[in-house]
Amino acid sequence: MKKKKELRKTIFKELQRGNVEGEIILFQPLWVRIFHWGFALSLTGILLSGLELHKPAKFFAVSYGDMFKIHVISSWFALGFVALRCTDAILRRDQSLIPKLRDIKLFPKLLAYYLFLRSAPPPNRKYNIGQRLVYSSWLLLFLIASLLGLSSYWQGEHLIWLWRLVGGFQRLRWIKFMITIYFLATIPLHIYLSMTENLSHLQAMVSGYERKPPPEKS
Amino acid sequence: MIETGTCTGDSISFDNIWTPTFSDIFSNILDWRYDWSMNQAQGNAAYQVLLDTYSKLPNEYILLVQGSMIHSDSGHYDHVAYEQGKLITGIDLVRRIGLKAKYVVAIGSCATFGGPVSGYPNPTRSTGVQDVLPERRVINVSGCPAHPDWIMGTLLHLALYGEPELEKYGRPKMFYGETIHNRCPRRYYYDQGIFATDIGQKECLYRVGCKGPVTYADCPIRRWNDRLNWPIGCNTPCIGCTEPGYPDLMSPFTVHSPDIPLPGGTKIATDSVALGVLGFTSAAIIGHVAASLYKGRIQRNLLKSTVRGKHRLSLIKVKTFHIYRVKKNAKKE
Repeated sequence: MKKKKELRKTIFKELQRGNVEGEIILFQPLWVRIFHWGFALSLTGILLSGLELHKPAKFFAVSYGDMFKIHVISSWFALGFVALRCTDAILRRDQSLIPKLRDIKLFPKLLAYYLFLRSAPPPNRKYNIGQRLVYSSWLLLFLIASLLGLSSYWQGEHLIWLWRLVGGFQRLRWIKFMITIYFLATIPLHIYLSMTENLSHLQAMVSGYERKPPPEKS
Repeated sequence: MIETGTCTGDSISFDNIWTPTFSDIFSNILDWRYDWSMNQAQGNAAYQVLLDTYSKLPNEYILLVQGSMIHSDSGHYDHVAYEQGKLITGIDLVRRIGLKAKYVVAIGSCATFGGPVSGYPNPTRSTGVQDVLPERRVINVSGCPAHPDWIMGTLLHLALYGEPELEKYGRPKMFYGETIHNRCPRRYYYDQGIFATDIGQKECLYRVGCKGPVTYADCPIRRWNDRLNWPIGCNTPCIGCTEPGYPDLMSPFTVHSPDIPLPGGTKIATDSVALGVLGFTSAAIIGHVAASLYKGRIQRNLLKSTVRGKHRLSLIKVKTFHIYRVKKNAKKE
């Protein structure tokens, strides 16, 4: 057992010695990673249970009381994770998710890259403008859907102004369904691009660290 | 009662009241002054009753309105009276009589929220009564038609106790305080996930478009035609007739989500839009994967984002285990 521990220490030492080119930097802090995976899990619960509540699958006989509980519990968890991320962003003064006007000017170039009209993406900060737009829209739509969800959960007892604003329960349900479709359309895109564009970013969402490549020699 | 853009369905529904009977209401309970469907007089003689009530009993009468408020052509699609050589529009009469009424009660889906008359594309620009009387609180008794008990119950409450407690859309809470879904006798099937696959079956009708979860009314406990039956008792889904936005937001009646109107008068199903968006996204991703592989972008990105070590890790051999076993083909060798 002792020898095994020693062996492990040796490997770590080797790694620390700088076995890779470039610099190892902290790319995703712990709270961001906790938020990411926690939110991903709870959002999956919300979307799947919501779709089942919307249109029961013929092959899936399930207790609807339980499905509703899963939906509500997942929603509360997701709201908790969002609150965590927002608090973390405020404390760290992290603005990496907020799209800036100067970044929006780069959006056509980014689009051209994705459409194979450019060989390289435009320079970006931590997240490119496409990511910023999608992530901020997720945050916004999730908060809207949560508010609508709470309104339907309270059955018009509270948040009556919202009920009136949207024009009734049926329209409220319709808006939530369309938000679900938006999530279902953009999440696969996010997974696809994160797996094919830069694997080290994906790795950083697990370990927190990623390699910053050395400056190219001219 | 003033009838504007209506099919008179609420009057017919009201005729079906039982305990109190219709004759009881007219002869013993209420002083029913003016009603197109029930008047014995006609023309000026009948209309004069309305004008007399308006001028002699201000703030003492209850105005009932049945039918939607028709705004197109300044309301001239809907003439409801002839006075001093002029045709009087529905919105003008409701506004004039309504401003001096003690209570204004809108009966039926059309008078409350516009109803079928205001359905897409709404050429008459119809609305509910509240829109033409914004300075007054209108008590809404919605439904297509409104249940006779809802109409009579509201009127009796007004006469005996004053204004009833109203819910978010101005409807009496005693009749519209709970969703149909929450009181449905088939709620057990829903909770267990047992659904009818076709209209006419006895299980929960949610999958065939029942609007019970989004509709506020006490139909499950009150039922219709002297408590004989109600739509779900007949194995047909609730169509959500008491809710604002009916019928556009509730149709098609056999699916959950309403159709989306497109320019040009056509409509497209919400589920079709959703499937279209998801199909497009899937096709786009598959196409992008193929193009990226063809152009070598995925390979290039993977090589760039992963790293090869400067040198291999040098591991120290701590202990070697040797495992010996007899070869199966040892004899052959």
